[in-house]
Amino acid sequence: MSNLFIEVKDVVKQYDGHVALNHVDLNVPEGCIYGLLGPNGAGKTSLIRIINMITRQDSGEVLMNGRPMKLDDIAHIGYLPEERGLYKKMKVGEQIVYLARLKGMGKLDARNTMREWLARFDLTEWENKKVEALSKGMAQKVQFIATVIHRPRLLIFDEPFSGFDPVNAEQLKMEILRLRDEGATILFSTHNMESVEAVCEQISLINHSQVVLQGYVDAIKQQHKQNIIAVELQGNKAIAANEALYSLLPPPAVGKATHIQLKTGVDVRDAIAWLNDHYALAGFHEVLPSMHEIFIETVKTA
Amino acid sequence: MEKLRLIIAREYMTIVGRKSFIVMTLLIPIIMMLCMALPAAIAYFNNTASEAETVAVIDESGRYGAAIADNDLFHFVPLRADTVPNAHEFYKKANGQLAAVVVIPADVDSTAAVTVYSENTINVSLKERISRQLSDTLTRARVASYGVPGLQRMIDESSVSVDLKSVKWDDAGNENETSAEVALAVGLILAFLTYMFVLLYGAMIMNGVIEEKTNRIVEVIVSSCKPFQLMMGKIIGVALVGLTQLAIWVVLMTIVGAIASTVFAPAALSAAGSMEGVQAAMEASDNFDMAGLVQMVMSVNYVPILVSFVLYFIGGYLLYASLFAGFGSAVDQASDASQATTPIIMIMVVALYAGMACIENPNGPMAVWCSMIPFTSPVVMMVRLPYDVPLWQLALSIVLLYATAAGCVWVAARIYRTGILLYGKKHSFKEILRWIKG
Repeated sequence: MSNLFIEVKDVVKQYDGHVALNHVDLNVPEGCIYGLLGPNGAGKTSLIRIINMITRQDSGEVLMNGRPMKLDDIAHIGYLPEERGLYKKMKVGEQIVYLARLKGMGKLDARNTMREWLARFDLTEWENKKVEALSKGMAQKVQFIATVIHRPRLLIFDEPFSGFDPVNAEQLKMEILRLRDEGATILFSTHNMESVEAVCEQISLINHSQVVLQGYVDAIKQQHKQNIIAVELQGNKAIAANEALYSLLPPPAVGKATHIQLKTGVDVRDAIAWLNDHYALAGFHEVLPSMHEIFIETVKTA
Repeated sequence: MEKLRLIIAREYMTIVGRKSFIVMTLLIPIIMMLCMALPAAIAYFNNTASEAETVAVIDESGRYGAAIADNDLFHFVPLRADTVPNAHEFYKKANGQLAAVVVIPADVDSTAAVTVYSENTINVSLKERISRQLSDTLTRARVASYGVPGLQRMIDESSVSVDLKSVKWDDAGNENETSAEVALAVGLILAFLTYMFVLLYGAMIMNGVIEEKTNRIVEVIVSSCKPFQLMMGKIIGVALVGLTQLAIWVVLMTIVGAIASTVFAPAALSAAGSMEGVQAAMEASDNFDMAGLVQMVMSVNYVPILVSFVLYFIGGYLLYASLFAGFGSAVDQASDASQATTPIIMIMVVALYAGMACIENPNGPMAVWCSMIPFTSPVVMMVRLPYDVPLWQLALSIVLLYATAAGCVWVAARIYRTGILLYGKKHSFKEILRWIKG
């Protein structure tokens, strides 16, 4: 296993009497895309602000590369907050260079890198336009560039896809994956579960200021599977219920497969063998719960 | 430090690059000159635009009908009382041709009471004209009534108007003619400058803070630098903008002054390098003894005044600017801001009025106290400065000012770092106190 890049250890944060983070632990391996999930108000933004050193935790510590974080370390972080914002009256190029230099980049380096990125997003001709002249989507791209321009080793994206149309969202996703491939570690805060399944390897689910679920996306899905199998028959025959082996589930919204749930203790092979004896099977596969379902289930029961 | 420098540079360039900055920088001196010229212009148009109005003088005494002489505004027509049985009817019959009717009663010598009637409001210059002219005449008549030969001449000759020169010694006993008016003007200009500067640029800082907050860019910025750096960068950047503006004005004034000096009084003005000198000289250019005036303007000792001005200016600016930044971070929108700044502006207004009141007695208790209290001292001390404030008072006041300014910056920084990241609700005073403690 690769070494840990960010370790959050037993972090507690209180605001005016209410607990925003209650003994939170988080381990983000280097080069990983890590999902930070949770409903609004769960404490995601508080945690992100602590990692960014915008606010300080009441207790606990945050390590970067095994060492407690210092103020200088924020130069290695790129942060895209959920609420986007730029100086409207500033020119696109100047603004990106300014933000890059605040992160410690040299003037020349910042300017050259800014031009590369603008070219990559087809924004070259906008370099000397004011931000207020940009469309919302373009402004989002400019902000993305400002987030990644200083080649941070840790990227923190808070709801990165909100406000992007599908084409741009796809482009953004490809860029994020490319940055990961170049070695960046990515922390993704979202309540959009589809994007989690698409890109995240590991997640932490935060609810009511606590981590309620943590681990690899695949493993979590296995843990939460409910022995549901989608069975497809040849022709239009319907599957009858079987008290001993499985129960029938309501048909899914799409597809013509029938979903059956195995009774406890029933082996998949037994059920399939029985079905194979009685019906002409066209195919079957195990249905894993979506992150969305796990999310809702966990948040409800917690 | 590099980050602070970047932030200052951005603040500065953004504001100075705006069209509104360039327009305002050029417009404000013009507006100020217009304001100065306006009263004169109004008076001028008042005096010349309309034709003289006719005023009937009904003379029941039979002696003073012609006592009131005409001027540009009024034409007085004396009438014998027996030709006008009813003044009101007479006024009516004139059909608006008459502005007013003056009735001089028969016993005016003893009562000195005269009445002026009109259906319109009687204006001040008319009243003044009548009362001054009649007073003169009646006084002379009374003097004459004593029957002492030559009494009027004696009285005229014995009326003395003292010509008071004020001369200030320096240590060596050299004499310098000073003028209280010049000192006063210098003090007032500096006080007003401080007042304007603090309010104008304080508001600019606050708007900048609110803009960053509503823009949400602040979250990105503070993930790159400390909130304190952002706040101080803003305060310093805006201060530099203000100083730039000031410098532009001084240069403009000097140019205007130089042009004026070549046109009006080359010799006298060549000595006057300072802004006030040029200004005062310009106003007075054609009807005063230029050299004397310039000498008076120069006699005020400017070096200590300017040094203290700069010190108070910076201290006062720092104090109020940090308050503006703190308040700005605690509100959500520009519309809430005016409410938050009301207390600051009130204190500034009090300071300005206190400063003006101190003109009467620049070393009185009120002046001394207000020039010690840090919230009023930057304005009030400006008025006192030309009157040689004791050194210990200056020192104490400056120490107090800077200590308070440092305190304000500290408090504002604590409000700021919490306030900028909290959106969407109003914060009570109690909450803000908690931020300061936290």
